[in-house]
Amino acid sequence: MGGEALLFLFAAIVSALLLFIMVYFIIMFSDLECDYINPIDLCTKLNQFVLPNYIAHAVLTVLFLITGKWLTLLFNLPLLGYNIKRYLDNKHMFDATEIFRTLPYDKKESFIKLVFFFVSFFLYLYGMVMAILHNKSLYA
Amino acid sequence: MGSQPPMTPQPMGSQPPTASQPPMASQQPFGSRSGTPQMSRPPFQMTSGQFSPQLSSRSPSPGFPPPPTDKAMPQSPNIGNASPQTGRHRQKYPDQMGKAYSNGPESLPGMNQGPQQPPQFFVPGNMGQPNMMQRDLQSPGNNFQNPMNNFQNPMNNFQNPINNLSNSFSNMNLNQKNVTSVSLFDAPPNVQTIDNCPEPVIPAQFCMQSSEKKNPPYGYCCSTLNAVPQNNALLQKSKIPFGIVLSPYKNIGPDEPEVPVTSPEVIVRCEICRAYINPFITYVDQGTRWKCNICHVVNDLPAFYSWDSKTRQAVDRNTIPELNSSVVEFVATREYTRGPPQPVVIMFVIDVSFQSIQSGMVATAARTILSSLDNIPNYDNRTKIGFVTYDSTLHFYNLNANLTEPQMLVVSDLDDVFIPAPDDLLVNLSESRAIIEAFLNKLGNMHKTTQNVSSALPAALTAANKILGPIGGKIAVFQSNIPNCGKNSLKKREDPSLYNTPKESTLLQPADHWYKDFALDCSKKQICVDTFIFSGQYTDVATISTLPRFTGGSVYFYPGFDASRAEDATKFSSELNRFLSKKIGLEAVLRIRTSRGLTIKGTYGNFFLMATDLIQLPNVNPDNCYALEVNIDKDLTSEKYVCFQAAVLHTSNNGERRIRVVTNVIPVTNNLTEVFANADPRAIAVLTAKKAVEKTITDKLEDARNLIISTCVDIMGAYKQAFTSSGQASKLLIIDNLSLLPVLIQALLKNIAFRRGNIPSDIRSFALSVLLGSPIENSLAYIYSKLYAIHILDANTGLPIPNTSEVYMPPRINLSMQRMTQDGIYLLDNSQHIIIWLSRGSNPELVNALFQKPYEAIPSGKTTLPTPNNDYATRINNIIEFIRKSRLISYNNLPYVYVVKEEDNNRGWFISHMVEDKLDSELSYPQFLSHLREQVNINY
Repeated sequence: MGGEALLFLFAAIVSALLLFIMVYFIIMFSDLECDYINPIDLCTKLNQFVLPNYIAHAVLTVLFLITGKWLTLLFNLPLLGYNIKRYLDNKHMFDATEIFRTLPYDKKESFIKLVFFFVSFFLYLYGMVMAILHNKSLYA
Repeated sequence: MGSQPPMTPQPMGSQPPTASQPPMASQQPFGSRSGTPQMSRPPFQMTSGQFSPQLSSRSPSPGFPPPPTDKAMPQSPNIGNASPQTGRHRQKYPDQMGKAYSNGPESLPGMNQGPQQPPQFFVPGNMGQPNMMQRDLQSPGNNFQNPMNNFQNPMNNFQNPINNLSNSFSNMNLNQKNVTSVSLFDAPPNVQTIDNCPEPVIPAQFCMQSSEKKNPPYGYCCSTLNAVPQNNALLQKSKIPFGIVLSPYKNIGPDEPEVPVTSPEVIVRCEICRAYINPFITYVDQGTRWKCNICHVVNDLPAFYSWDSKTRQAVDRNTIPELNSSVVEFVATREYTRGPPQPVVIMFVIDVSFQSIQSGMVATAARTILSSLDNIPNYDNRTKIGFVTYDSTLHFYNLNANLTEPQMLVVSDLDDVFIPAPDDLLVNLSESRAIIEAFLNKLGNMHKTTQNVSSALPAALTAANKILGPIGGKIAVFQSNIPNCGKNSLKKREDPSLYNTPKESTLLQPADHWYKDFALDCSKKQICVDTFIFSGQYTDVATISTLPRFTGGSVYFYPGFDASRAEDATKFSSELNRFLSKKIGLEAVLRIRTSRGLTIKGTYGNFFLMATDLIQLPNVNPDNCYALEVNIDKDLTSEKYVCFQAAVLHTSNNGERRIRVVTNVIPVTNNLTEVFANADPRAIAVLTAKKAVEKTITDKLEDARNLIISTCVDIMGAYKQAFTSSGQASKLLIIDNLSLLPVLIQALLKNIAFRRGNIPSDIRSFALSVLLGSPIENSLAYIYSKLYAIHILDANTGLPIPNTSEVYMPPRINLSMQRMTQDGIYLLDNSQHIIIWLSRGSNPELVNALFQKPYEAIPSGKTTLPTPNNDYATRINNIIEFIRKSRLISYNNLPYVYVVKEEDNNRGWFISHMVEDKLDSELSYPQFLSHLREQVNINY
C-alpha cells in the first residue's frame, strides 16, 4: 500500500472521528432543549472537543497541502477558513450564558459540519481505494 | 451641545412691563396666567405672601407670544426669545398644532384645567369609562408608582356586569371602527400620558363571576401586546415585538397591598403542564374538576376547595386567594424543599486599599453596617455574616463568639487562596453580635495609615466563594479601585480614542472571562454577588458588573465618591441600609409557563438561564426586572386567550419555602387593528432597551442602536402598510395609543447607554446595567426623564395626598428647551438624579424661598436643600422627598439632588436630558420623525 493510500486511510479515520463528535454535539444540543442537561455541564462537556476538532481538521488540511492533493485541499479550505475566523473572533467556545441565544446557530453549524465530514469520509475512502487500485492518486 | 442654539440671555430691558410691578402687591393665584383657562381650579392662596407671582400677569408683548392656552401647544419658547429669529428658528412645529391629536382643539383642555382629557388609550374593558382615566389624572405622575391604588376600585366600571361583558372583548370591535391615527408631525408627544399605564385586562369570561379576577398590576407583569395575534403571520405583519416585562418579586410600595399568602394542604397543580392553580382556570363537572388555562387538561379539584371539613361548611371560593388573585404566594409543602432552607448569609468583601480609605468609603460602610445590624432579616437567629478585606493581601477576621477581640488573619498568597479558621469567619449574627460590633467599630480606623494601592478582588472573591460555598448566600463587594493585583487582575483599558468607533464595544464587554466563570460558579452554589463600585478613576465596571449580572445581583455605582460630602455619605449609607434590610428571596428559580403555541425566544435581565423557561436566581432581588420575548409557533385560532404564569420558588427571609405565582391572561385576536390598538409603547420601549443592552454586551453598540431604531421603523412601516392610504406619504401616521413610541425610542437612542459621544465606558456600562436590571417604571423615567416646572404650582401640588404616602405632583413637561421659560425653575427626575435647573432670570423670591440664599450664592452641584421654612419650600421638599423615597423603595436608589445653573459647566449635562432637542450628532424630535418617515418610505 502506497503513501497516498495511507494518507487517505488516515484522513478517513479522522473524519469519521470528527463525524462522531458532531453527532455527539447534536445529541447534546437536543438534550439541552429538552432540559435533560444544564447549560454549564453542556458547555464544559462540549468545549473539550472544540479545539481537538479544529486541530484535527487543520492537520488534515495541512497534510493535503504538503502532499499536493489540490482538489481535496480546495474542498477543505472553506471550513478551515471558517474555523480560523471563529477562533480569531474568540467565538469557538460555547458560553453557558449565551448558549440559548446561539443555540439555533450552533445546531445549524454542527449539522453542516456533520454533513461535511460525512461526505469527506466517503471521499477519502474513495481516494484510498483508487490509490490502492491504480497505485496512483486520482487527485494528483 | 455645541450645536445647541445659544440660549440668548434675555436682557432685563426686554422684560414685560409687569416685571416692574411690585410683586408683593399681587395677590393673584400663584402661577396663574391671565387668560388661561386655569381658574377652574381653586386658586392657591398664598399663605405667607412672600413669593412674587412674577409670571402672573404677563401681558402679551412682542417679545412673548401669547401665553399658551393648550398643553399640547408649544409653550412660549422664552429661552432665546430676545432674538425672535432664534425663537422662530427653534420653533419646529407648525403653528396650528393646537389641534393636536386629531380631536381638534376643543377636546384638549387647558394646561392646568382640572382633570385632563385622557388620551384615547384603549384597554379592553375600559372603553366608555373615561372617568377612570380622569381619576388617574387628578394626581398626575403618581398613577404608576401606585398601580394598586387604581386597582382597588377599578371595578367601579364593572358594577354592571352586563355592560361589562359588552365592554370587554366585544369592545375590540367597537374600537376597531374608531381607530384614530395620529400624524406625528402635527404635535409634540403628549408626555403626560407616559405615566398612564393600561389598567389590567379582565378577560370577558371572568368578569361575570361574582368576584373580579384581574390580571396582575402593571408593575408585576405587563405585555407589549394586550391582544395577542392569532398566528405568527399576523404578529409578523404588525412587526411589534411580543414580550412580557416581569417583576414577580417586585418591591411593594407603602400604598400597595401585600401579596396574599396562602397555605393550602396541597398545592394544586396541573398534572400535565405543572401550572399552579390560578384565578383563570375554569371549573367543570359542577365544580369538582378544573380545566387548566395553560394546557386545557382537566384535573381533579381537591375537596378542600369545596367543603371545609373543620367548620363543616361549603367553602366560598371567592375568599380563597389562589382562586382570586393573580399574584399569590404559596407556602410550599415539604416536597419543594431540599434540605434545610438557606439562612440569610452575607459576606462583606471590602477593598481597604488607599483609595477606599481616603474616600472614607470603608468608614462609612462600617458605620452603616453597624447601624443596620438590627435591620438585617434575622428570623430564628439563623443569619450569618462575615467579613473579608483586601488590598494586596487578604485579611480575614475571626469573629468567634468566644473571643474577646476580633482576630485579623492575613493571607498573602493570592494564587492559591488558603482559608484560615474556616468555621469562624462566617459567624452567627446573634451569637457573635458583640464581637461583630467591636470589629465594625474598629474597621473604620484599622487600615488608616495604608499606602497600599493594590486591590486583589479576584482572590478575595475566590475566598468568599470558598467560605460561602457549602451554604450559599450573598457576597457584597465594595470596590474603589480597578482590581490590579494577583491572578485575573484587570488593566486600565479605557482608551478615549476608541470612543465612537466600532471598537468602543470592546470596552463594554468583559475583559476577562474569569469573572463570568466565577459568576456561573456562584450561581451554581446559590451565591449572589452585589457590587458597590466607588471610584474617581476607571474601574472597569464592564467587567465587574458581570458578577451581579449572572447571579441576580445589582450594581451600585458612586463615581467620585467622597464621604466627606454629606450627600455622598447619605446616598451610600441609605442605599446600603436598604440593601441590608430589604426583603429578598433565597435559592430561587423562576419558571415561566406559557400557553401551548408560544415559546420563549429570548430572556433579558440579571440571572443565569438554565433552560429556555427556567431562570436561576441565587437571590430574587426585588429591584430586578426580567423581560421575555415570545414567539408564536402554532396557530392560536382555537384559543380565546393565552396565559403566562411565572412561578418563583424561593426561600423567604423567615426561612419558609414559598412560591410566588403571577398569572397573566391576554386575549387572542385575529384582527390586525386590535393588535395595534392594544400595543403598549412603554413595554415595547423597555423590552427594546433590555434587548439592546444584551446586544451591546455581546455585539456592537451600533448594532444595538440599529436594533432600537429598526424596531420603531418596522412598527411604523407595518402600520403604514396596513392602514394608510396612498397620498399620505408625507405624513407619519401611527395609531394613537402608540403615539409615544417614537419619542420613547428616540429618548432611548439618546440615553447615555446608547448615544454617540465621548462617554467614559464606566458610565456607559453602569447605564447599561441600570437599563438591563431596573423595573419598568424606573426604566421609563431613566429613558424619558420627568421634567416638572416648579415655579408655577397648582393649588395642591406638593401637598400630600390624603390617606396615602404620595404627593400631588406637578404636570410633566416635554423634554425640550422650548418648553422651558427663561425665568423658570425646573426639576428633572431621571431616576438616578434629581436636577434642579435655575434659569438666570429665576424669580429671586422663589429661589430665596427654596435655597435661603440669593441666586448668585447658590453653589451648583450636589446639594442638600435647607430645611424648609415656608410653604413653597415645603412643597418642593415634599416633591423631592417623595421622588427619593419612591426610588429608594422601587430600585434601591436614593437620587442625588443637583443644582444646575444656567451658566454652569454642568449645563450641558442637564441639556443632554432634553431628548426632543438636537444634541451633538443626535437628531431633534422633528428631525428624528423626518428620518423615520424617510426610512419608512424607503422600506415600506
